[in-house]
Amino acid sequence: MIEWVHPGLIFVVAALILPLFNTALQKIGLLLVPIAAILSVAVMTTGTYGEFNFANVFLVIGKVDKLTLVFAWVFTFMAFIGSLYSLHIKETSQHVAAYLYIGSALGVVFAGDWFTLLVSWELMAFASAYLVFASRAEAATKAGFRYLLVHVTGGVMLFGGIVLHGLETGSFIFGPLTTESGQWGGLAFTLVLVSFLLNAAVPPLNAWLTDAYPEATVTGAVFLSAFTTKTAVYVLIRTFPGTEILVGLGVAMALYGVIYAVLENDCRRLLGYHIVSQVGYMVAGVGIGTEIALNGSSSHAFSHIIYKGLLFMGAGAVIQMTGRRKLTELGGLYRTMPWTVFLYMIGAFAISAFPFFSGFVSKSMVIAAAAGDGRAATVLLLTVASSGTFLHTGLKLPYYMFFGKDCGLRPSDPPLNMLLAMGIAAILCIGIGVFPNLLYALLPYQVDFVPYTAAHITGSLSILMFTAVGFVLLLKYLDPENTVSLDTDWFYRKGARLFMWFAENPVSWWEKIISNLSDTVILRLLARTARDSLNIDIKGVDAIVNGVAHAALRLGATARRLQTGIVTHYAAAMIFGLFVCITFYSLIWLE
Amino acid sequence: MMNFPSLSLLIFLPAFGVIPLLFLKNASVIRWMALLFTFADFLLAIAVLMRFDATSASMQFVEHVDWVPSLGISYAVGVDGISILFTFLTALLGWICILASWNSIVVKIKEFMICILVMQSLMIGVFCALDLFLFYVLWEAMLIPMYLIIGVWGGPRRVYAAVKFFLYTLAGSLLFLVGIIVLYQEGGQTFDILSLMAVDFSLSVQNWVFLLFLVAFAVKVPMFPVHTWLPDAHVEAPTAGSIILAGVLLKMGAYGFLRFSLPMLPDASHYFAPLMIGLSTVAIVYGGFLALAQSDLKKLIAYSSVSHMGFVTLGLFTFNENALSGAVLQMFNHGISTGALFLAIGLLYERTHTRQISDYGGLMKIVPLYTIYFGLFSFASMAVPGTNGFIGELLILSGAFGANVWVGVAAVIGAMLAAVYMLSLFKSVALGPIVTFEEGTIWDIGQREGVCLLALAVFIFWIGLYPKPFLGIMAPALGQLLGQLGQGG
Repeated sequence: MIEWVHPGLIFVVAALILPLFNTALQKIGLLLVPIAAILSVAVMTTGTYGEFNFANVFLVIGKVDKLTLVFAWVFTFMAFIGSLYSLHIKETSQHVAAYLYIGSALGVVFAGDWFTLLVSWELMAFASAYLVFASRAEAATKAGFRYLLVHVTGGVMLFGGIVLHGLETGSFIFGPLTTESGQWGGLAFTLVLVSFLLNAAVPPLNAWLTDAYPEATVTGAVFLSAFTTKTAVYVLIRTFPGTEILVGLGVAMALYGVIYAVLENDCRRLLGYHIVSQVGYMVAGVGIGTEIALNGSSSHAFSHIIYKGLLFMGAGAVIQMTGRRKLTELGGLYRTMPWTVFLYMIGAFAISAFPFFSGFVSKSMVIAAAAGDGRAATVLLLTVASSGTFLHTGLKLPYYMFFGKDCGLRPSDPPLNMLLAMGIAAILCIGIGVFPNLLYALLPYQVDFVPYTAAHITGSLSILMFTAVGFVLLLKYLDPENTVSLDTDWFYRKGARLFMWFAENPVSWWEKIISNLSDTVILRLLARTARDSLNIDIKGVDAIVNGVAHAALRLGATARRLQTGIVTHYAAAMIFGLFVCITFYSLIWLE
Repeated sequence: MMNFPSLSLLIFLPAFGVIPLLFLKNASVIRWMALLFTFADFLLAIAVLMRFDATSASMQFVEHVDWVPSLGISYAVGVDGISILFTFLTALLGWICILASWNSIVVKIKEFMICILVMQSLMIGVFCALDLFLFYVLWEAMLIPMYLIIGVWGGPRRVYAAVKFFLYTLAGSLLFLVGIIVLYQEGGQTFDILSLMAVDFSLSVQNWVFLLFLVAFAVKVPMFPVHTWLPDAHVEAPTAGSIILAGVLLKMGAYGFLRFSLPMLPDASHYFAPLMIGLSTVAIVYGGFLALAQSDLKKLIAYSSVSHMGFVTLGLFTFNENALSGAVLQMFNHGISTGALFLAIGLLYERTHTRQISDYGGLMKIVPLYTIYFGLFSFASMAVPGTNGFIGELLILSGAFGANVWVGVAAVIGAMLAAVYMLSLFKSVALGPIVTFEEGTIWDIGQREGVCLLALAVFIFWIGLYPKPFLGIMAPALGQLLGQLGQGG
C-alpha cells in the first residue's frame, strides 16, 4: 500500500480529469473526491513524507503534524460541503477551478519547504481568481483583475522573501522566521510577513477581499471564504508565532471589520468584513504566541471555516433565489425560505459565540489566551468586537434580509443540494459546540481550556443579550443605506488610474517616437537593402552568367557562319593553316 | 557480418528498383513499387545506423574492390560519423519525396520515379564513396536525373532553370576533375581517399587544388557569388526535386569541403580560411536580404538556403570543435527543415497553383493543422530554441565569435534577418485576414501528407531537445578531422 497520499494531489488530479466525464459522473465524482480526501486525512499519521531533491533544492511536500492535521481536516470537510453546495453548477470549469484551489490550499498546508509553499500559494491565487471571473459580470471581471493583481503582488513579495531567506540561511525548509524577542527581523522577514498579512486580509491590505468576494459566483464565494484567509492563518501560525506586532494588528483588524460592517449594504460584503474581523482574532492569537493562543487560533480557524461557509451559503442562497444582494432591496423572505433562515441563524449564532455553538468554544480560547498573557486591552477590545459581530451578522443582516420591511419577493428555498450542504455545516457548528473535545483533540498543543464554565456562559450571554437590546433600541439608526464605503483600495484604484495616465501619455509619446524611427528609418532601410541586394543578384551576378551564356551562343553563331558551304573557302583555310603550321614548326619548334 | 555488403546494398537498392519499374504500366503500381524500394532503403539505412559504432573514428562497413588497378581506381565505399548522418538523411528524404509526388506528378510517372530512384542511389553513393574517381563519377552522374527532373516536370521556365543548373554545376565539376588529377599525380598515383589524406602535399599544390575544388563545392553549396542557379532551379523544380535539391544536393558541397578540402589540404584550408569566412559571412547577410525582398514562396526559401549554408561554411572554416559539430549538425538540420519547408510549400502549391505570397492569407483559420506544421518548420529554420536549428546555430555562433567578433556580429545579423523574413512570411501566409482563392478551397493535410510532415517534425524536436546522439555520432570523425587540420597551419 502506498505509505501516504497527499490529499491536495487527489483534488488536483480530480480537477484535471473531471472535464473528461459527463455530467452525471461528474456529480458523483464531486461528492466522492472530497470523501476520498477526508479518508486520506483520517488514516494519516504524523511524520514527514514526499521528500526529494529537485534541481538542487530539497523539497518536502508532506510534512504532517497536529497543526497540519487540524487544518487538513477542516479543509477537506469544507471541500465536501462546498462541493455539495455547488453540485448543481453545470459549468465544469468552475468545479475544476474550485478543486485546483482546494488542492493547492492543501498543498500549502502540507508544505515542508518554501518552494512547495510558493507554488501552491500562486496556484491558489489563480484558481480562486477564476471563481471571481466566473460570474461573468463586468463588475466581476474588474474585481477579479484587482484580486489577481493584489495576489500576484503578494506572491512576488513572498518569492522575494523566500529567496532572500534561502540566501541568508542556506536552507529552504519551512519553519519559523521569528527572531528571539519577537521584534522586527530583516527584509526577508518583512516581505514574507507582508505577503502573509495580505492573504490574511489584514488592514490596510484587506480591500481585495471585500472587493472580490461579493462579485464571485454564489458557490465560488463559499470556497473563497474558507481557504485563502485560513491558509494565511496557518502559515502565520507556523512562521510568526509570538510576533508582537500581530497582536495589535489582529485587534485593530477585528474592530476595523466590525466598524465597516456597520456601513455595509451588500450582504456578502458585510460578511466579507466579518471575515476580516474574525481573522483578526486568529492573527491576534498568533501574535500572543502562547500554546493556548495558538490553540485558540487553530480552533477558531476550524470553527470559522464552517460557520462562515454556512453564512455565505445562506446569503448565497438568497442571492440565487432573489437575484438581489443589497439589504435595502431585501426583506420579509422568512415567509417562503424558512429552511434558509433557520440554517443561517445557526451560523449567525455560531459566529456570535452563543453557548452550545462552535464559536463559543473557539473564540473564547483566544480571549482567554490574551487574558492569560496579561493583555487587558486586548481582551476588552476583542470582546467589543464580539459584540459588534453579533450585532451585524446575528442581528442586522438576518433582520434586514429575512425579516423587516417586506421587499415583495416570494422566493422558495434553494435546491436540495444547497440546503443539505448548509445542514451539514449547521450540524457541525452545533456538534462542535456541544462536544468541544472532539475539536480539542485535534489541536496542536495540549488543551487545558474548559469552555463551559459558569462565568464564561453568563458573561457571554449577557454581552449578547445587551447587544440585542441595543439593536432593538437603535434599530432606526442601523437601517442600511445604498452607499459605497471607501476602503484602503482607494489608493491603488486611484493609483492604477494615475499609472495608466502615465503609461498612455508620457511613455506612449516616447514609444511613438521610437516606433516612428523604426518604421521610417529602419524598416525602410531594411527593405531598400533587400531590394538592392536583389538587384545586385539579378542585374549583377546573374547578368554575368547570362552574359557568358549569350556570349557563348553568339560565338557559336559567329563560328557557324564559317561554314559557308563553298569548297574553295575550305581549301583556302586549309592551305592557310598548313602555312601557319610550317612557319611555326620551322621558326619556333626547331629552336 | 561485416562481410555482408550492406553499404553496396544501401547504395544500389533504389537502382535495382528501377528494373521492375521498367516493365510496369499501371501508375498506381509504379508509385507503390517506388515507395517500397525507397522505404526499404530507409529501413536498411536505419539498420546500418544501429550497427554503426559511434566511438570509432575510422571508416566502417568498408568495401573495397579493385576496379581499374592500372589507374589506381577501385570501388571503395565506407561510412564514418559524418557520412552516416547524410546517408540516413538521404534515405529519409527519399521515400518522403515519393510520397510528396503521389498526386502532383501526373505525366510520365514511371520516368519520374526512375529518376528519383537513380538519384537516391547516386546520392547515397556520393556520401559513401572512398575513392576519388568513384566519387567524381557519382557526383557528375547526379546532374543528369536532376536535370531531367527539373527540365521535364518543372514549372514554366524549367528548361532555362535546368540548363542553368546543369552548366553551372558542370563547370565547377570540370575544375574539380582537374584538381583530382593533380592530386592523383602528386599523391602517388592513387585515387584512394584514405591514402590521399595521409599524403603531405606542398603548399603551392594544396593552394591550387583548393581553389579548383573550391569552385566545384562553392557552386554546389551554393556560396556567393556562384549561387544564382539555386533560386531558378528551386522555383521551377517540382516538389520532390526541390526537397532533394535543398535537402541533399546542397549538403554535398559542404560535404566536399569536409571530406576533401579540409583533411587533404589542411595548409591551404588555413591559408584560404579568411576568404572562406568572408564569403560565408557575405552569403549569410546577403542571402538574408535577398530572402527579405522576395514575393515568391519558393524563392524566399531558396535564398534562405543560401543564408543557412553560409552558416555551415562559416562553421567549417573556423576550425574549432564546437563550430565544426555545429556545421555538420546544421547541415543535417537544414536538410530536415528546409526539406520540410519545401514539402509544405509544395503541398500548398498542389492545391492552389500559386506561389505568390500575396495570394495567401489567414491560412490558420482554414487549414490549422497545416499551418501548425508550417509554423514549426519556419521556427526551426529561424533557429528557435527547442528546434534543431537552434542547436546548430548556437554551436556555429560560438565558434564564429571565437574566430572574430565582427564575423560573429554579421552572423547574428544574419540570424536576425532570418527571423525577420520567416516571421513576416508566416504572418502574411498564415495569420491575418483570409484571402479567397480562385481555384476552389484549400483542404487540410491528409494521412499521406501528414506522415511525411510528421516524420520530419519528429527530427526537429528530437535534435532540438536531445541532440546528444547526433553530436555523439559525428564526434570521433570530427576529432580526427581536427587532428588532420592541426597538422597544417
